[in-house]
Amino acid sequence: MSDPLAAPRAIQGRAPDVFREGGWVEMREFSESEAVDFVVIGTGAGGGPLITRLAEQGFSVVGFDAGPYFRPLEDFASDETAQNQLYWLDERIVDGENPIRMGGNNSGKAVGGSTVHFAMVSLRFRPEWFKSRSLLGYGADWPLDWREMWDYYGKAERALSISGPVTYPWGPKRPRYPYRAHEMNGAAEVLARGAEAMGYKWSPTPLATVSAPRGDSPPCVYRGFCRFGCSTNAKQSQLVAFIPRALAAGAEIRDLAMVGRIETGADGRATGVHYFREGRWRFQRARNVVVAGYAIETPRLLLNSANDRYPDGLANSSGLVGRNLMTQSNQAVYGSMKDEVRWNKGPPSLSITEHWNYDDRKDFFGGYCWMAQGPLPIEWVTVLTGSLGLWGEQLRERMKNYNHQVGVKMVGEMLPNENNRVTLADETDQYGLRIPRITYSWGDNDKALVAHALDKMQTSMELAGVRDTFQQVDDTNHLAGTARMGSDPRSSVVNADCRSWDIPNLWVCDGSIFPTTGGVNPSLTISAIALRTADRIKALADRGEL
Amino acid sequence: MGTSKPTGDTATAIAVLSGATVLGGVALALRQPRAPANDTRASLLPWVERSKAPAVPPLDSKATVRAARRLNRAAGTIAASVLVDSAIEHYRGAFHNEAMVTPLISASLSLLASVHGTADDRRGAHVARDLVYAAAGLTGLVGTGFHIYNISRKPGGFSWQNLFYSAPLGAPAAISLSGMLGFLSERLRNNTTDSRPTILGRPAGRVIGLMTSLGLMGTVGEAGLLHFRGAYHNPAMYLPVTMPPIAAALLGASALGEAGRRKPLTRWWLRFTALLGFVGSGFHIIGVARNMGGWRNWKQNLLDGPPIPAPPSFTGLALAGLAALGLLEDHPDD
Repeated sequence: MSDPLAAPRAIQGRAPDVFREGGWVEMREFSESEAVDFVVIGTGAGGGPLITRLAEQGFSVVGFDAGPYFRPLEDFASDETAQNQLYWLDERIVDGENPIRMGGNNSGKAVGGSTVHFAMVSLRFRPEWFKSRSLLGYGADWPLDWREMWDYYGKAERALSISGPVTYPWGPKRPRYPYRAHEMNGAAEVLARGAEAMGYKWSPTPLATVSAPRGDSPPCVYRGFCRFGCSTNAKQSQLVAFIPRALAAGAEIRDLAMVGRIETGADGRATGVHYFREGRWRFQRARNVVVAGYAIETPRLLLNSANDRYPDGLANSSGLVGRNLMTQSNQAVYGSMKDEVRWNKGPPSLSITEHWNYDDRKDFFGGYCWMAQGPLPIEWVTVLTGSLGLWGEQLRERMKNYNHQVGVKMVGEMLPNENNRVTLADETDQYGLRIPRITYSWGDNDKALVAHALDKMQTSMELAGVRDTFQQVDDTNHLAGTARMGSDPRSSVVNADCRSWDIPNLWVCDGSIFPTTGGVNPSLTISAIALRTADRIKALADRGEL
Repeated sequence: MGTSKPTGDTATAIAVLSGATVLGGVALALRQPRAPANDTRASLLPWVERSKAPAVPPLDSKATVRAARRLNRAAGTIAASVLVDSAIEHYRGAFHNEAMVTPLISASLSLLASVHGTADDRRGAHVARDLVYAAAGLTGLVGTGFHIYNISRKPGGFSWQNLFYSAPLGAPAAISLSGMLGFLSERLRNNTTDSRPTILGRPAGRVIGLMTSLGLMGTVGEAGLLHFRGAYHNPAMYLPVTMPPIAAALLGASALGEAGRRKPLTRWWLRFTALLGFVGSGFHIIGVARNMGGWRNWKQNLLDGPPIPAPPSFTGLALAGLAALGLLEDHPDD
């Protein structure tokens, strides 16, 4: 068994078969000196579907990922600490009034990106959020129509075999989820009872892990290690669901390949990427470059690619690259039940209430949902020490009660603010690249939303019979923004097709393009937009407009 | 590497089983139907109605007992299915309620009574068998009550979620079906010599045919619910919600229609449904292999995978349907 972190695996015409221990599948390889149609930097929720669909439509594609190419069956340990190998833990500087804690909640460094360890929550935006400036009075409008997005959400859900409820209680009608929702665990039932006591609707959460066999994926066995890498392949991560399709369609994946700079030519167009692999810098020529590195690494790469022609970084004539960074509020209310709950069994977020995403009777902008929780012991210890200050004997006593713990955690919308941003620090990392400085402060609206959510979550938990409740007040998770899409080159970085206004063969396709972030987990929206972008690229190519 | 279709041994096993099913179906289709007393010609093409003239066989008390024994066999098949299935499922539920042992006892007794009845060619109802079958019928009713209570306690009540994952609403009815078929068998045996067999004053073939038809539809509902839960991820999962309803309709039509006629299509379809019960177990064996760890992890996957003993319920009902069809064909009552 080789070490996936020591040397690239996707070389010599083959790539790991994620479904077989020690297995390989054939992989097409492209020459560096000949320009491929597309280079895609990043293989996560945005890059994965895009690489796949571009390859399936006949384009030559090379997908780059700085992280390793895992075979979950042999590489993933049932160990919270060991699985830190999945996160992007390179050096960063975080500052601002509310510095973002970088790591497992908001990054991934592996083929498949953060979807390898995401919580699989696959939700659609509320339609109005695509026009939140015009319809709801905050943030910015997206240049996309929700009805078209509804279509692509459906495509993404089918591609990922989302297991969801037979009918979803919020928003416009949607097609039936491809697979049925999973059985709810004890924690999910407590959320349901709390929601019912509040008069809210609740639902089993649509999740990207299969409830019945799919291809070579077995159904979920409810180990509960989802956020530390699913070792059974039930989780429909990009690594399992899309990348194998991409390989079969003739795409090449380069693992342990860190792209450091995008090159532009005399005509101002991108000509290829400089990347570090197997101990040296290399250059891949390309006719198009797609950046899909998520809200930190995407602006970092665009800024690090500054040259004489583009001194402020690529695609940055608006000055907005790196700006309008958003995270999502991820506060929680925890407590204990008299009966055993065993909240670590199964996926962590088996039930949800989106009530406050759809109810506008509140005195702040944005929405939030909350979901059942099931932190594993080490994460739970950090919550107890961080939020309650427990230590020593007290901590030990509380941990003995682990199987009786229960809680709910929110995903809340934070508003875009130009001062929340990614810039470049002077320090450099192991590749010699300038590291990102991530500046973040919560606004008054963000704080009002969190206070509202904590109050409602607390009440619902108490009504459900939860005792000894306490609040975790400072957590955040998903990222968005930093290369927003829009309909005006002066106020956005890319257009509706994720194509940069400044450099027509440079694209951005990940959560960076979100003008607003909504009150739901972003991965499904990212993947839906990636599927749309692939279709748009094909249409543009057919018209000779690439 | 298969993102949408299984590969490797699983794909091979599905192909082999599908092939074996087709071969089994062909073998059944070619098998000569049991000829009524006055008609020794048999059709090799069972869906061709050859004999338009109503057959008028002599009243045959042996035929009545033979039908009764077939019903015992059908009741036993279902009882065996329930015994193993409830043992696995209630073990999975850790027998957290002591009453969960009841279906094991009841199904065991029903199985014993059925073995006894299948071997017994005497006329007249047997008291012990009658009691066992009545108890089985009751067990199913009480079990359904328990399962309804279990579902109603869950948040969401009678929602899809709870119908999928709480105690299965339709499962206890299977032991009732076993009891019902056995009970009908005993009533059949009670008919006096050389008279047209009746149950509660109605022609026996029609009563058994109708009840079996209803039982088939109930079982289809259960399979449909659980296969919906499995998202019909394998096209073969549509078989138990398409073939048995047609069998039930054909049998129901036969039970309500003109008696004393050959019904080759109905017979053929019922035989296929009987085959389907066993094939279903085969598919479920493959389904267990598709769970994490496959058969190496049998202790877990037998519990969590598709229930291997469940599909032969269809076999039991189809066998009962064939017994009813035999009575209908042999005894014109109009």
